Amino acid sequence: MNPSFPSLMQTQCTWSCHHEMLGALRSKSSSLFASSRHLLRQFAAGSGSRRPPSFAAMSTAATEKEASPNQKESAGKPLQVAKRLEKFKTTIFTQMSMLAIKHGAINLGQGFPNFDGPEFVKEAAIQAIRDGKNQYARGYGIPDLNSAIAARFKKDSGLVVDPETEVTVTSGCTEAIAATILGLINPGDEVILFAPFYDSYEATLSMAGADIKCITLRPPDFAVPINELRSAISKKTRAILMNTPHNPTGKMFTREELNEIASLCIENDVLVFSDEVYDKLAFEMDHISMASLPGMYDRTVTLNSLGKTFSLTGWKIGWAIAPPHLTWGVRQAHSFLTFATNTPGQWAAAAALRAPDSYYVELRRDYATKKQILVEGLKEAGFKVFPSSGTYFVVVDHTPFGLENDIAFCEFLIKEVGVVAIPTSVFYLNPEEGKNIVRFTFCKDEGTLRSAVERMKAKLKRT
Amino acid sequence: MKDKLSAVAKTFSPSPIQQLSHLAQRRNAINLAEGFPDFPAPSLLKSAAVSAINSDFNQYRHVQGICDRLAKIVKDTHGLEVDPLTDITICCGQTEAFAAAIFSIIDPGDEVILFDPSYETYNACISIAGGVAVYVALNPPHWTLDNEKFLKSFTSRTKAVVLNSPHNPTGKVFSKDELEVIATACCTNDCLAITDEVYEHITYDNTKHISLASLQGMQERTIITSSLSKTFSVTGWRIGWAIAPTAIASAIKNIHVRITDSAPAPFQEAALTALESQPQFFESLRQVDYELRRDFLARILAEVGLCIQFKAQGSFFIFAEIPEECLLSDVDCVRKLIEEAGVVGVPGCGFFHSNKLVEVGADNFYQKRYIRFAFCKSDDTLAAAAQNLQEFVNKAGAFDRSESVKC
Repeated sequence: MNPSFPSLMQTQCTWSCHHEMLGALRSKSSSLFASSRHLLRQFAAGSGSRRPPSFAAMSTAATEKEASPNQKESAGKPLQVAKRLEKFKTTIFTQMSMLAIKHGAINLGQGFPNFDGPEFVKEAAIQAIRDGKNQYARGYGIPDLNSAIAARFKKDSGLVVDPETEVTVTSGCTEAIAATILGLINPGDEVILFAPFYDSYEATLSMAGADIKCITLRPPDFAVPINELRSAISKKTRAILMNTPHNPTGKMFTREELNEIASLCIENDVLVFSDEVYDKLAFEMDHISMASLPGMYDRTVTLNSLGKTFSLTGWKIGWAIAPPHLTWGVRQAHSFLTFATNTPGQWAAAAALRAPDSYYVELRRDYATKKQILVEGLKEAGFKVFPSSGTYFVVVDHTPFGLENDIAFCEFLIKEVGVVAIPTSVFYLNPEEGKNIVRFTFCKDEGTLRSAVERMKAKLKRT
Repeated sequence: MKDKLSAVAKTFSPSPIQQLSHLAQRRNAINLAEGFPDFPAPSLLKSAAVSAINSDFNQYRHVQGICDRLAKIVKDTHGLEVDPLTDITICCGQTEAFAAAIFSIIDPGDEVILFDPSYETYNACISIAGGVAVYVALNPPHWTLDNEKFLKSFTSRTKAVVLNSPHNPTGKVFSKDELEVIATACCTNDCLAITDEVYEHITYDNTKHISLASLQGMQERTIITSSLSKTFSVTGWRIGWAIAPTAIASAIKNIHVRITDSAPAPFQEAALTALESQPQFFESLRQVDYELRRDFLARILAEVGLCIQFKAQGSFFIFAEIPEECLLSDVDCVRKLIEEAGVVGVPGCGFFHSNKLVEVGADNFYQKRYIRFAFCKSDDTLAAAAQNLQEFVNKAGAFDRSESVKC
């Protein structure tokens, strides 16, 4: 089973174009795009900077290898990382967090709460540890959790799934995505992505050697451009990777949009990988699972996790729900990616998923209050705020403040205002498309949100 | 819709280990198959994890202290200087560390040398990354490294050698001489090495585990993977790591972040406690006394008629051979043991592989003649296994000529 080299070369061309664009941006705001290690050294040493070897240098070595296949490479070879890594840089989140710490900024960038999960879930994990549930769990999940996931999914979507053959537990939704892609995507397969996208999608698709086609969702409402999708999709398309409620925009795919996507998928025999990790944070409309649409269950992998819903993002409990023939592929990849998911966390997750509806009602209410604080604050500070229906993110247009792009704005915001936001250009294949937009999160306690809002109102001046 | 599976996923078949495990469960058989303890995890670690959960260490986290501690440990144990800020990645178990390592260095068509028998997961990972596994058989009955076979397996496409020592399933600990052969070959061929050292602290008869990276010329080309799981009897916590030269470590980290993003937070905190307590802990490991358990199990297996020509020097497995007179395959033998003796082992066939290049008529008969038993089990479990096996021998006699079913 050898992948086709021509398609690999194709993706390499795409990579180098993107690489150049990143390079252009990098020269404008070098301190931001330097590796986290660079920042750490600067932070620690206080002066000077030693740049780590760049991936560009290593990809040069890769070219040399191809040019002279019969010659033994020189000492460069031990450093030679795989070609697929040209896109893999330290994530923007790490970089922003480093800068935030350095400047004492309030972090509304990284998407995890600064408050903790509910006691009853933590207690369940503690009990599991004390009860000796500390050894390998069954690879695809402990029976109790698989059942709880199936039961919750039935309540949410109306679909009845078999916990034994249609549910797979993974180390977070990140791993569910990775296992789905690596288990079901062949090198050269065409996959459609919607930009802006969670940054691991593109990187993981590259690992699988996929041929990525991107459709951009545009402000102000980030609606799905159906005509563009219709042109992009064909019988050659293997899968669409979608995320609803959507990170970073907060957009929720409407029933009309889902119907359109579904009919195109059925017509062209395309799979859907649906990341629904924020499904419980749906404010402006009800969340609809793609898998619940007629004809879609058989071709859909639904991805979710514990972390966002229960404010326990560090526990790494996620899952994939799919018909048996697709689940099988997910499980194969999962078995060599992590083999099994942490056992005590699974026991606790089973307890969590059996939480009464009142938990979810209260969760939404709490977040709605936080959202109001942030959104009103951002508007008063002078941002153009785009409507967000779900997730705990809001995206805004920063251009009223006169900075040239999103990265420059975020740097300015940290250094001069003391607040962190995430530049969204990293969530696009073409970073230019994100240059006016930055993302804030409101998964923070109300005090923190108010302080951040105060700082922005005080220090941001429209130009 | 089976055609929707990736080409590689289609070649995978369900693990024989897991299938027989289900049978064993149904028969309530004593499980000496799966390689994890049935005695409790250390209280020190459990308390640390509980404390972490109560102290709200529950969001995405990277515990740098683990890296600092690991750097000190590899320095003290193996004389290796690593930079804890740049060279170490904390992963969800050694499994993920290995997967990230493979994805960071293997391009389609790259060859990876593995010693056979080998843990089944390595191959799957290499395949998905587009690599080609090249197996070098260790020579039974003592699983010695055949230098000639090994050196002949290198080609211009060889990218890495995978070394698991102490070794699953045989319990072999690669000797200094063997490591030198491997190191020289890696340097000469300018290859990388990926080690799986999860059993590094489980060795017997004063056998010393030597890390391949500590040999001359190796640190710059070796990725070390290991974990908390076997050392500290917490296989269900998923805390492992990869240690590599900075440029490769950077790549591994970036891949890891896309595979799982981070290892479970409360268990990272507990890992710190575990690693900081290491010296005292190893005293308590001696109390668990794997060596005594090894000897006990070896004895009771011998009474059933299984041959143990090679005494495990490390890991907690015994790789026992079916006696010549018994013509059952390993799978049938294991099934018989489950059904009639109420004891489970793992058929060795799942660990053996052949290359497409294997000569016709090569003697691979031995690949269906081994069963792996685990002795990381409580006194009660081992005693019960002994009793079951004794009853089996009394009823049916040891494995002998009466078993005329061919493999």
